[in-house]
Amino acid sequence: MTSSKELVEVVMTVNQTEVTRTVEPRLTLADFIRDELDLTGTKLGCEHGVCGACTVLLEGEPVRSCCTLAVQAAGGTVQTVEELCRLPRGARLRESFKKHHALQCGFCTPGFLVTSYELLEDRDELTVEEARRELSGNICRCTGYQGIVAAVVEASGAD
Amino acid sequence: MVENKTFTRGKFVGARVPRVEDDRFLTGSARFIADVKVAGMKHVAFVRSPYAHARVVSVDVSQALALAGVAAVVTGEDLADVGRLVDAMQIEGLSKTPQPVLAVDRVRFVGEAVAAVVAEDRYVAEDAADLVVVEYEPLGAVTDAVAGMAADAPVLFEELGTNVLYRRSRAHGDTDSAFAAADRVFEGRFHTNRFMAAPMETRGAIATFETGPDRLHIQTSSQTPHLLRMALAGVLGMPEQRIRVSTPAVGGGFGQKIATSPEEVVVAALARRLGCPVKWVEDRRENLIAGSHAKEQIISLELAVTGEGRILGMRAQLIGDGGGYSFNTSSILVEPQVAAQSMPGVYDIANYDYEVIGVVTNKTPVASFRGIGWTAGHSARELLFDEVARDLGLDPAEFRRLNMIAPGSFPHRTCTDMLYDSGSYTESLADALEMVDYRALRERQRELRAQGRYIGIGISPYNELTGFGTDSASQAGFPFPSHDNAMVTVEPTGKVTVAVGFHSHGQGHETTFAQVAADGLGVAIEDVAVVFGDTSTSPFGMGTYASRSAIIGGGTVSLAAARVREKVLAAAGRLLEVSPEDLEIVDGRVSVAGDPDAGVSFAEVAGAAYFDPRVRGEGEDVYLSATMFYDPPATYSNGTIIAVVEVDPETTEITIERIVASEDCGTVINPMIVEGQVHGAIAQGIGGALLEHLAYDEQGQPLATTYMDYLIPTTMEVPRIDVNHLESPSPFSIGGIKGIGEGGLISAPAAVTCAVLDALAPWEPRLRTLPVTPDRIAEICRQE
Ligand code: FES
Ligand code: FES
Repeated sequence: MTSSKELVEVVMTVNQTEVTRTVEPRLTLADFIRDELDLTGTKLGCEHGVCGACTVLLEGEPVRSCCTLAVQAAGGTVQTVEELCRLPRGARLRESFKKHHALQCGFCTPGFLVTSYELLEDRDELTVEEARRELSGNICRCTGYQGIVAAVVEASGAD
Repeated sequence: MVENKTFTRGKFVGARVPRVEDDRFLTGSARFIADVKVAGMKHVAFVRSPYAHARVVSVDVSQALALAGVAAVVTGEDLADVGRLVDAMQIEGLSKTPQPVLAVDRVRFVGEAVAAVVAEDRYVAEDAADLVVVEYEPLGAVTDAVAGMAADAPVLFEELGTNVLYRRSRAHGDTDSAFAAADRVFEGRFHTNRFMAAPMETRGAIATFETGPDRLHIQTSSQTPHLLRMALAGVLGMPEQRIRVSTPAVGGGFGQKIATSPEEVVVAALARRLGCPVKWVEDRRENLIAGSHAKEQIISLELAVTGEGRILGMRAQLIGDGGGYSFNTSSILVEPQVAAQSMPGVYDIANYDYEVIGVVTNKTPVASFRGIGWTAGHSARELLFDEVARDLGLDPAEFRRLNMIAPGSFPHRTCTDMLYDSGSYTESLADALEMVDYRALRERQRELRAQGRYIGIGISPYNELTGFGTDSASQAGFPFPSHDNAMVTVEPTGKVTVAVGFHSHGQGHETTFAQVAADGLGVAIEDVAVVFGDTSTSPFGMGTYASRSAIIGGGTVSLAAARVREKVLAAAGRLLEVSPEDLEIVDGRVSVAGDPDAGVSFAEVAGAAYFDPRVRGEGEDVYLSATMFYDPPATYSNGTIIAVVEVDPETTEITIERIVASEDCGTVINPMIVEGQVHGAIAQGIGGALLEHLAYDEQGQPLATTYMDYLIPTTMEVPRIDVNHLESPSPFSIGGIKGIGEGGLISAPAAVTCAVLDALAPWEPRLRTLPVTPDRIAEICRQE
């Protein structure tokens, strides 16, 4: 029994570069970004939408790239940790994460950075409670979150 | 007492040095195993058993093989040339259950791999795995260790004739007399929950094989590269110097990535068989059902107590539920054996008998997870202590203080022959009580209760065996001799390389070892690079587990740095024509003491040592490098964790208000990193108390197979955690360092559980099956 794969062409803008790939319709956005584009900053922790490690921005909104198909993002604009960490707000988060020991193994870190990057978009001076609520969709198994929450709160105040 | 001349505390040790490795992770440029591509690689998916216990009648791979893009499908029979995995423990009376890397004839847990598919990508590999047709003949499943001990229980290993692979009693002191003399005897049987490390990065491996002469390179997500190399050499029948194990970034381990996994062996065997690189990265479901589980024990405790609350004696029976195989680190023993040995904890208990029973069941095999053994044993003991204190009308803090090993009595030898080097047991209890303002809190508890609100306080003092080397292992009841090495080298430009056999998967070793080396040599931390996780560049070492890295790593690095420092001073002495004794190194400059201007830079000394024959003494080794080993005596860290919770008896909702931890790990190398370890371990302990449980149904079907039903604590469950550091340096270890990785997970589950039960004290709760789930709270609050 053999199958010939159905393929579709997908065009999207990822980190400000337009990319075109011919892929299977079932390919996830996460695998598209990671395997087709070699942008491996986006991580896969569960592949079923719970852990948040795969979070990217699609049209500026955070999405779980493990539960999004590449074809669903076709024509769209995607931003991953590789781009965001170079922008001013990302750089501020980066410094704050370092200062507050907000990462240990670093595997969940890109997801947290992307989530908090978007969180700080239209908010400043987050309270600890707000930060905790907003970050509750991302799992970290190492840090116990205290450093992450402190880092995001501090970075929010710097606006 | 050890010579501590070798350990130098300068600018860096003890300081809150920011981690030098962070940027790599914060920019997404760190490479984890899933991120690595090797030219020509193919992808592996495993066919896993849907039955907990079954005979494998036949495996038909023809449809899978016919799928376009599939390169190979192998079964257990195809890998007959690969050895079975068997634990290395030499323990009298322990039956062995070698595990085939792919099941042959029989499967013993849901998730056991039966076949492996190799294909052009993971999608096709999974498609093909679905096309492998396995005919099973289901057998009765053992899903509970106690049931597994019954004479008529189904037997997992017919050749052994029993599921009980280990059973042994030990007596310490005169327990019978202690019980005869007691005013009261308390007892309870506790069933602690089965939970798991669940690192955010699942396991994975890429193997590359070259022939003539054969070379295997396996890149893998491992905590113990050298041990894995040894294991692979054994099962693959290859000399170990032809195997290279290296790890890219590793996304957490917490013990799960210590043991050699069957999948790692299969990946290596497939690369050899197919002649192309193969890659396997597991998904979360695989990790939850086939990655190792931990911590489930059935512990019966009896406590002989005077009317005033003095403990006279204790009896324990500990039954370990080891899962389907007992290969890795002796699955059936890691839990109950360590729990049995460490049951006295921080308390002065002279009379204590225990029995340890290890049983195989048709569940996922058990292996190490942060605080192995301790967590379950500690939880059982502390829960019983609260029951006793309540019953005797004693304050739970006072009951604990009364029975603690007194200050000033260290080193203290326990009745189980553990030698506690140092500690601050009563001090840390007092410190933690002060941190929460205990008296005021009890007052508030009374006031709130009157208003129908229920807050509770859980007090959990602990100690932790650290620096896992030969001595620690034997004190824990695991004769497992070891030693570790560090190689410190000053390169020709004066930069420093530190190569260690320890592994870092989040612990920040690139920073802590650099701190130790920088102070040891007198150079800037920026000038030190730490190399680890590759058997081709690191000296032999046991890897990272059991809170061993700070003490053994700190020790080996400081020893090697001290040796290199001597060489640097000898070379500089010749250059400057002064005696080395008159020289000092400050900020990377070697100069005559008190005259920093008249000196030479590290780079100049190094350059001369490598290239200027005039600085070489007759017959002297001038290579500015030293490899030193260290195998320290056991050390014990300690601390007290207190949890404050509120429980709503109507809704069963639990809110953790606050957690405080007073911890003592001796000399602190980097307080920031220590706090991170404490926070992280406590968060896992909160999960273990309230959320995490790997439940099975009667047929042995795992019920928690995604993160929707295996719940990991989030920012909403983990409250603010305050940490205070006490410092009782170990008199036994270099620099007085102890370890700190496990304490939070040993003691937080008890702290949180005891706090919940304390909140529900008006209902006189008895809770002996963990975790504390909403239905258990509802049950308690229904009782009148
Ligand atoms: S990998 Fe997408 S949410 Fe976990
Ligand atoms: S830092 Fe390891 S999972 Fe968050």
